[in-house]
Amino acid sequence: MSPRELGAPLVREAPLLRDDTPVEEAVRALLDADLPALPVVNGAGKLLGLFGEREFIEALFPGYLKELGYAGFVPRSIESVIEKRQTCRLEPVSKHLNREHVEVDAEFSDVGLAEAFIHHRVLVVPVVDRGRVVGVVSRSDFFAAMGELFLDR
Amino acid sequence: MVLAIVIFAAALVVIATDKVHRTKVALVGAILVLVTQTIEQEQAIEAIDFNTIGLLAGMMLIVKLTEETGVYAYLGIRAAQISRGRPLAVVLALAVATAVLSAFLDNLTTILLMVPITFLLADTLDIDPIPLVIIEIIASNVGGTATLIGDPPNILIAGATGLSFMDFVANLAPVAAVTFVATTAVLYLFYRKRLQIAPDVRERLMEIDARRSIEDPAELRRAMPVLIGTILLFFVHKQLHVEPATVALAGATVLLLLTKTSVEKALAGIEWSTLFFFIALFVMVGALEEQGAIGKVADGIASVTDGNRTAELLGIAWTSAFASGIVDNIPFTATMIPVVEELRGPGDDAYWWCLALGACFGGNATIIGAAANVAAAGMAARAGQPISFWAFLRIGVPITILSMVIATGYIALRYL
Repeated sequence: MSPRELGAPLVREAPLLRDDTPVEEAVRALLDADLPALPVVNGAGKLLGLFGEREFIEALFPGYLKELGYAGFVPRSIESVIEKRQTCRLEPVSKHLNREHVEVDAEFSDVGLAEAFIHHRVLVVPVVDRGRVVGVVSRSDFFAAMGELFLDR
Repeated sequence: MVLAIVIFAAALVVIATDKVHRTKVALVGAILVLVTQTIEQEQAIEAIDFNTIGLLAGMMLIVKLTEETGVYAYLGIRAAQISRGRPLAVVLALAVATAVLSAFLDNLTTILLMVPITFLLADTLDIDPIPLVIIEIIASNVGGTATLIGDPPNILIAGATGLSFMDFVANLAPVAAVTFVATTAVLYLFYRKRLQIAPDVRERLMEIDARRSIEDPAELRRAMPVLIGTILLFFVHKQLHVEPATVALAGATVLLLLTKTSVEKALAGIEWSTLFFFIALFVMVGALEEQGAIGKVADGIASVTDGNRTAELLGIAWTSAFASGIVDNIPFTATMIPVVEELRGPGDDAYWWCLALGACFGGNATIIGAAANVAAAGMAARAGQPISFWAFLRIGVPITILSMVIATGYIALRYL
């Protein structure tokens, strides 16, 4: 098995979000693409970070929630949260994106990909070729391929 | 001597700009005074007050090990629920809880515990959280003034002087209590329009299930007696002939043995950057002392006041308040301790109380005046509701002046 036999076929084309894309539009793009996160780029096409499920939850819920060690005692319903945070719809994704520097180059190895998922709390890893995002590999696709291979052996 | 002064002054300036982490700056300063042999390594190690470091580390561990139980969130929520959503009662409940916790934990920790709960309560009551956060910052600095362990300047003074927990309570708690009442009243009047709570949302407060904030009741039952026992031991440490650091470290060790938290997780709760900041600071101040700079400052003050005790006491209090608003009150106090030691007469502890009052109350003047203020501002910014420098200054300066007027009256009545 070559060093990139498992991961290379998993690279998916993904729509790119611009940093000024409103959260509302970004959420729609996420649902349409059926991916847990999408790469966010600036006007020049440079990768800035990721906006995905976790970032949307953070945008939707009040900022102090991250500071609370535990919030199991808060009885609020999701409807009231959405009602209160309508303002986040029009906020740019740049305000909420995960700016952790996570990417692999076009010649990535399976071990390199695994390392990216182990060390970073990301659900997709962008694949970058000569400064341009050419696709993403999702953690669930990688797990599925790895799991099948593991059970076959 | 010039080199020691230049290094120390440069470090203070860079710390004040807040561009580089204060611990990095202090470590660079400490290394520079060592490399330039402004102070010898052996003297530098002697200059580090391990009583202060031990007390800080012990209290940090105690807070980490008891925080895991959720007890502080419970106290914050219950305090607000007792108010039943009435604005004045909400302010009083949160301010009292913050001041009391600050007196027995420390003001920075208290702010880290109280501010997220306050954001939640304000969100529940549909009010602006910032007035409540500012009231808590000020309550924490005033409440922390009352005890030896409440505020870093007091910990530094205790480490240098051997004054007991009860000495601090007897001399500082009365004035802290009066100041707390006066400042909280003024703050409520100042912010009352922003704290209007609609009667129909008040009931929402009662929907929060405070008991569910206790994450591990069994852990709480193990930890609480140790926390209470440790606090009680502080009151009698002098009679038992043990240092405050020993009490804190003993409490932390018993908690480590009794609770489920792993040693690694508990040690991760220690703010190592703060401890190294203190260590570096002690080395830099040690260099100033070694080079005779502290003696020159003390002589300078003595010549200005002409040895007049009243002028010296009030001068220390007001200068400390003014300086602590501009620079971090921790390095300021560390520098002033040897100066005060040279100025004061034998057995005249009034000088220490003036330094403590000035340094602690002065921390309320600006958003950078105390570590608790900076931490609260950081949390508010992360929650999307930043506190601007000017918004805080507008109320911080009058509150500091009011506090210092009360402190001046107290000093005049009790020590002059």
